[in-house]
Amino acid sequence: MPEHMRLRDRLRIESYHRLGKDVVLGVVAIDQDKCNGCGLCTHCCAANAIVLKNKKACINEELPACMSCGDCVAICPNQAIELKEFIQFKCYFRYLDRGKPEPPRKF
Amino acid sequence: MAEQIKAANESVIEPEITIQQPAPGADFNPVEDVIYRRRSVRFYKKKQVPEYVVRRMLEAARFAPSAGNGQTWKFIVVRNQQMIKEMTQDVVKLFKLQMKFTDYITKPNKLKEWYAKFLQRVANNSFHPIPFAGIKMIAEEKLGLWHGAPTVILIMADKRTPGDPTLDVGIAGQNLVLAAHSYGLGTCWVSFCATPLSLKLKWRKKLGIRYPYKLVTSVAVGYPRGVPDGYVPRETTAIDWFEEDGTFKVVY
Repeated sequence: MPEHMRLRDRLRIESYHRLGKDVVLGVVAIDQDKCNGCGLCTHCCAANAIVLKNKKACINEELPACMSCGDCVAICPNQAIELKEFIQFKCYFRYLDRGKPEPPRKF
Repeated sequence: MAEQIKAANESVIEPEITIQQPAPGADFNPVEDVIYRRRSVRFYKKKQVPEYVVRRMLEAARFAPSAGNGQTWKFIVVRNQQMIKEMTQDVVKLFKLQMKFTDYITKPNKLKEWYAKFLQRVANNSFHPIPFAGIKMIAEEKLGLWHGAPTVILIMADKRTPGDPTLDVGIAGQNLVLAAHSYGLGTCWVSFCATPLSLKLKWRKKLGIRYPYKLVTSVAVGYPRGVPDGYVPRETTAIDWFEEDGTFKVVY
């Protein structure tokens, strides 16, 4: 059965105030051992979600944060970054039936 | 006119290429590879892109499909660094003004929140939470508009052409972008500039944003720092599938 939007979802607009309830941001896992602190990911991130702390890339705690575009994953020369979770909205801007994340497949 | 068309047709050289359907599970061909590896680039070298390369990209855009062969696009190439700087400043100024009325995230404010959510409802594409956060970051100058790209291509659409001009412009733009990535360049779509530049009289005059044209989007072009292109995971959006034998399935 395809997913649908309920009336309750359509009426409420999510807010970044209620992080984790309304909006689940994208999650990238940064391998601190592999990171050499080149800072390329901080420059390419559109959402300012990655910052350098003690010459290592870290997730920025402030808003706004990751929209899971994968630019940092692609640019990292040491393959230290991995995309774990995708951004999700829960109400008005909810994405319908997006499936699981996968790299390009060969059919 | 007829002679001109005949001459143009004769000048077209048909290259002898063998187009093959791939075997199941075969490796990506060069076109697919460029499509899959394309990533938005937000960190550029200062080195300018040669003029002939930009001309070559625009040539690829010229042969995009469009509704009723309307060829609705009009491109403006901006390579004047001073002009790019001024445009960025003006966009930042306008976004700052907008954030005065709608920024309810930095300082909680009920009235601003109500107004922002009203905007999100009436113009839900431009005020979606993601571009909304982007506007906030541009206003705070944490995010560059064109990320220091040496060449900016503004794309305008002719409002009078058949079908959906903005869609046709998107198709042409993607041709341009894929061509650029196949030359090792980096590109980034930037539509934040469209409304602010269209509102400012100075840029309306200078860029010729007047009837029948409207500014739709822009593409930043330049040499990337690092190697940003590569494969990443993306969501496998659900595909509804009505099969020949009458069955229905959802594939991912």
